[in-house]
Amino acid sequence: MLLDMRNVTMSFGGVTALRDVSFSVREGEILGLIGPNGAGKTTLFHVLTSMVSGASGDIVFRGERIEGLSTHRIIRRGVGRTFQNIRLFPRMTARENVMVGRHTRSRAGVWQSVLRTRAQRAEEDRIREKTDELLALVGLAGKEGSVASALPYGYQRRLEIARALACEPKLLLLDEPVAGMNESETREIHHLIRKVRDLGVTVILIEHDMSLVMQVCDRLVVLNFGEKIAEGTPEEIQNDPGVIVAYLGREEEGDDA
Amino acid sequence: MAVDWLNPYHLQVASFVLINTLLGVSIYVTLATGQLSLGNAGFMSIGAYTTAILTTRHGFPMPAGIVAGSVVAALAGIAVGIPSLRLTGVYLAIATLGFGEVVRVVFVNWESLTGGAVGIAAIPQMGRELLASLRDAGFAPESIGLRGNQFISLSVFLILFASTLCAIGFFFRLGSSRVGRAYAAVRMDERAAEAAGIDTTYYKVLAFTQGAMLSGFAGALFAHATSYISPADFTYHRAVEILVFAVFGGSEHLLGPVFGAMLLTALPELLRSVSDYRYIVYGILLIAMMVFRPQGLIDPPLVNRLAGKKAAGGGSRDAA
Ligand SMILES: Nc1ncnc2c1ncn2[C@@H]1O[C@H](COP(=O)(O)OP(=O)(O)OP(=O)(O)O)[C@@H](O)[C@H]1O
Ligand SMILES: [Mg+2]
Repeated sequence: MLLDMRNVTMSFGGVTALRDVSFSVREGEILGLIGPNGAGKTTLFHVLTSMVSGASGDIVFRGERIEGLSTHRIIRRGVGRTFQNIRLFPRMTARENVMVGRHTRSRAGVWQSVLRTRAQRAEEDRIREKTDELLALVGLAGKEGSVASALPYGYQRRLEIARALACEPKLLLLDEPVAGMNESETREIHHLIRKVRDLGVTVILIEHDMSLVMQVCDRLVVLNFGEKIAEGTPEEIQNDPGVIVAYLGREEEGDDA
Repeated sequence: MAVDWLNPYHLQVASFVLINTLLGVSIYVTLATGQLSLGNAGFMSIGAYTTAILTTRHGFPMPAGIVAGSVVAALAGIAVGIPSLRLTGVYLAIATLGFGEVVRVVFVNWESLTGGAVGIAAIPQMGRELLASLRDAGFAPESIGLRGNQFISLSVFLILFASTLCAIGFFFRLGSSRVGRAYAAVRMDERAAEAAGIDTTYYKVLAFTQGAMLSGFAGALFAHATSYISPADFTYHRAVEILVFAVFGGSEHLLGPVFGAMLLTALPELLRSVSDYRYIVYGILLIAMMVFRPQGLIDPPLVNRLAGKKAAGGGSRDAA
């Protein structure tokens, strides 16, 4: 197992965003994390990367407990993530954004940087090389010099994925990477996610569009009101009565309103 | 004499311009991680007093005193920077401004060590020291056509000029490196920086400490340029002045505060009639900047445009 979450609970004041959630992620799979709005999906990513405090439970990543470590340490151990509301470095170029993502894979400190040592220059060359490779992978070749905040929305999403990949993660966490995209853009992103997986990166994908989730994911975990209500292959989930109720129940509420 | 035009007074003004330039860089360095520190006048005074005390009372050679002043200021920077991590924006600015005032009050009251409000006089002056040791070695400034006081002012200016160039070069190179990118990332979005694997705490404390160290360095040079320091040199006026360099010149590019410090220090000296109204002029400038150019005179797009134009001009000249 690449990742094991055991009995993870997280509350914000009175709201229990995650209740006793346990599941595992296998190396090399694309795991879909689905559930209605407010189910706790994003919170689970935040807990996994220590971006919220106060969670309980065990998180074992590559055989080691990581709960309670600071975010940058968890990233260094091989987790990359994107955000539901894109968080790029707005005034940096696309290339600079990805170069920042190389931070954990490079080591030049203050003196090496100032003295421009041979090792430092070689490292900068490697960073640029890798960066251009990643930008090409996500379909941003030719946009390297554009300022991030000036990129069209879809490109910003891709750029964020490239930045997350720059640290060469074992596990990539994608929080609704196709939100707000049209059909063809969505297909491209899903193609990209498969390509990333084929490069040896395990992926957890939060996604609302059920038909797409079913096509792309190997397995699914379903959350509802902070609890895991189902886990299995797309076929199993499709026929799971609990899941159907969770989604239909919400629709009925919507109809009443 | 061939070099009669070399006016010690002008050289002295130029030397103050350079010290203020160092201070402008020092506030920029901390701001590069998004932390607005107004404590740099305090760190400056720590650097100045440290070397003044060590050289006048304990027989330290001047270079050792300057290094010690910078290091003590850096240590003070760590001591202030770590507890300040929880503060941001205006709260950090107020806390660091308070720190500077506390330091000044300590220097005023610890009379046995600092001479109190009177300060410390007869600090070795770098130009004079240099001239003395050169005379010992058999060199006379007259042999290169300089009077003694000309030589002294000129050597102070040159030492400060070299120091300032080094500092600017240092932070220019740091800016376009892994460390500089980490700084910029922290400034733009701390959470995203953490998610990119950056130890934001480390880089914030590092930048804060570098700013403090550079201020201490500027203070130590100041002490050995004027040979007399007192707490009045390091009031909150100084802190605000440093802030104005960054606001006026621009805080998003290293050259912003450099340019701001140079212009705002040189102008009042050159236009003597205005210098009585210095702070009024500062106030008007600040308001004007906030209205018309909130990012300051110099910002990265402007630098890129200028650099691009230069490169293009060079290219066409080559082609012609
Ligand atoms: N910082 C916070 N403070 C208080 N409550 C929060 C916080 N973050 C999340 N919550 C609450 O926790 C619950 C789960 O939120 P979360 O964002 O994880 O849901 P989600 O499954 O990602 O939903 P969506 O599909 O809308 O993105 C919600 O009820 C939300 O209001
Ligand atoms: Mg969410």
